[in-house]
Amino acid sequence: MTKDKNLKNGAPEQVNLEKGTPVKGTLGEALRSQGVSRRSFMKFCATTASMMALPPAMIPTIARALENARRPSVIWLSFQECTGCTESLTRAHTSTVESLIFDSISLDYHHTLQAAAGHGAEEAREVAMEENYGNYLLVVDGSIPLDNPGYSTIAGISNLDMLNEAAKGAAAIIAVGTCATYGGIPHANPNPTGAVSVKDIIKDKPIINVPGCPPIPVVITGVLAHFLTFGSLPELDHIGRPKAFYGQSIHDRCYRRPFYDKGQFAETFDDEGAKKGWCLFKLGCKGPTTYNACATTKWNNGTSFPIESGHPCIGCSEPDFWDGGGFYKALSMPTVDLSQTAAYAAAGAAAAGVAIGLMNRSKKNTSNKIHVKTTLEDLKK
Amino acid sequence: MSATIEKGINALKRQVDSSVAAFFSSCVHCGICAEACLFYTETGDAKRTPINKTEPLRRIWKSEYTLFGRVGKMFGLTRKVTDEMLEEWQELVYDSCTLCGRCSMVCPVGNDIALMIRKTREGMAAAGQAPEGLIGATTRSVTIGSPMGVKWPALAAQIRHVEEDSGLKVPVDQSDVDYMLLLSSMEIMNFPEFIEAMAKIFDKAGVSWTISSEAFEATNSGIQIGVSDIAAELVQRIVDVADKLRVKTVISPECGHAYMAIRWDGPNLVGKPFGFKVRHVLEVLDDLHKQGRLKLAGKDTQRLTYHDPCQISRRGGVIDEPRNLINLFADNFVEMPDGGKMNWCCGAGGGVSANERADEIRLKVFDRKKAQLEEVKPDAIISACSNCRIHLEDGLEEHNMDIPLLSLTETIAEYLSDE
Repeated sequence: MTKDKNLKNGAPEQVNLEKGTPVKGTLGEALRSQGVSRRSFMKFCATTASMMALPPAMIPTIARALENARRPSVIWLSFQECTGCTESLTRAHTSTVESLIFDSISLDYHHTLQAAAGHGAEEAREVAMEENYGNYLLVVDGSIPLDNPGYSTIAGISNLDMLNEAAKGAAAIIAVGTCATYGGIPHANPNPTGAVSVKDIIKDKPIINVPGCPPIPVVITGVLAHFLTFGSLPELDHIGRPKAFYGQSIHDRCYRRPFYDKGQFAETFDDEGAKKGWCLFKLGCKGPTTYNACATTKWNNGTSFPIESGHPCIGCSEPDFWDGGGFYKALSMPTVDLSQTAAYAAAGAAAAGVAIGLMNRSKKNTSNKIHVKTTLEDLKK
Repeated sequence: MSATIEKGINALKRQVDSSVAAFFSSCVHCGICAEACLFYTETGDAKRTPINKTEPLRRIWKSEYTLFGRVGKMFGLTRKVTDEMLEEWQELVYDSCTLCGRCSMVCPVGNDIALMIRKTREGMAAAGQAPEGLIGATTRSVTIGSPMGVKWPALAAQIRHVEEDSGLKVPVDQSDVDYMLLLSSMEIMNFPEFIEAMAKIFDKAGVSWTISSEAFEATNSGIQIGVSDIAAELVQRIVDVADKLRVKTVISPECGHAYMAIRWDGPNLVGKPFGFKVRHVLEVLDDLHKQGRLKLAGKDTQRLTYHDPCQISRRGGVIDEPRNLINLFADNFVEMPDGGKMNWCCGAGGGVSANERADEIRLKVFDRKKAQLEEVKPDAIISACSNCRIHLEDGLEEHNMDIPLLSLTETIAEYLSDE
């Protein structure tokens, strides 16, 4: 997947849309050369527009912008991560427009994917940063350890230093995966490396959070398309996620929602309810508190998503999902074991009860003691 | 002349026990007791809701025996029990409650509200907030021996009349008898026929019985005013004589609270079990009938109904006995609506009739009984409590209703078989 230098450096000429001949060095040209028809390209633009809740009138705009866009330089930094995010984005079963858009960007540095190694690889990053200073997109997956820089280094450079340096010249940063967006699994209790997310470190650049463990590929390409079309970031929610994809909960879009509404739940993974495809809420489904597009875009080229294959949503795109209690504990159940706390509370209450009882008894004894037998004389003041 | 608010508060503190604490903690403020109380239904006055009458006791429980109350007391947040407050509550605790216990029956959480009002009276009395009329009755009970001031010579004279009229002997101060009969002052003064009826019935049944010249009074003003010390003293008089005469059973006469005082409160007041049994006269008569010793002849064809005295039916459990007995002579017996354990109070029990200040309200709440009677339209009303009888007669007269009141015991004596 190393990029052809010629393509990358092609001149950003004005495109002639009517003729359908993309200008050299643009995304349109790259797509055409890979055999993507104009029809499927327009289809992709329409899909992107609808997914991002843009009016249909915007489709030609998207198409024109994408065709004319100079293939953006992308620098991809991987820190404390498992490569799952990269896997997710590259392992499409068939070649799709999304993956081709992804293929067609000028991915100048990605240490998992690039052929270059060692000094060559680092040089490629430095060159790309220098040549596209202020314009390149920085994609980050993985969290950044703050405890000891030695926990995660690339070419002897700590993750923190590399991120700070690369962020300086970036037009925008896309944090991919829950580790880069909210700390993810490395950040989970007890967080041995002191892992933090990108937004915890970089404060002066626009950051788009694309959480998920891993995130849905089309979300990445959608965000890229938006950036290329409008030159700006899509509308984000309160924790930096594009609203177009993270605006609704899994629960609200779940095809099993009618069973929830009727109170029909699978109680175990092998009961009748599970066989009938009833709601997995009682098996710990985090759908109601998880905001993501899984239930609509689905996974594996739209084949299915976890709930559809019979497993409750684990809420992987939410901050601190790993510490949110057991994956198989229903949401309405306490997230921590309260039995000991309850035992202490009960013992405390019992002790307080005994103490109050003794106080009450002594109070009553006192009132009995000071009572003098009431006689007729005592009936009037 | 030594009643003080401090004594009142101390008395209330003494009244709080586990059941009171449980009752107050479990009250859900539903207000169902209001609809069960004729002092509320007939006046529509929310302050007469039964549970509200216990407010002085509740405040003491809250501020002295609960955690929140204690903390609140430290910051001066609890509402205090003061002389002014108790004065305001006098009218509710004494004038507007007959301790009939209907509220206790309907309480969804099982609170014995009547018991709590009875306990509230302890604090009221110790604080000098008991009504004048009840203080007078109590004073006469202790000093003279009867709330109406009846002394032995008066009863002796009535006995002499009975003996002359009936030709029967009324045994006095006899020991080792089966029954010792107690009487209420009202029976002695207003209904001496009761004594004659008992003499006739016991004669026919062939049982040994007596009346004591030392302890003949059945009523207990100490219970009504709410002074357990005095109530205990009055009970003790009966216990001493019953022990001395070695009687097997003490009979409580046709008087509601007298039965409750001697049978249910009695042993608790004196602090030990009795060495004799206590029975209501209707229980004794029903027993005698079952043993075949009470035989009746003739039938009354009038439309008769029975007014259940609260302390005998609802609080005392003597419900079937009067009906068994009435059916021995009545051809046309009709139950009042709500008859039996849920019968409406006449409106003058529990010390209300001894409290002149309550005359107006007791006649006002008679409307409830009047409505019951209008529905049944009886030719005569039978009851087993002299106090109920007198108040019912009062109420009927007030409304120009001409329905005679009958004593069940006296009526039975009239239908005694000659065999």
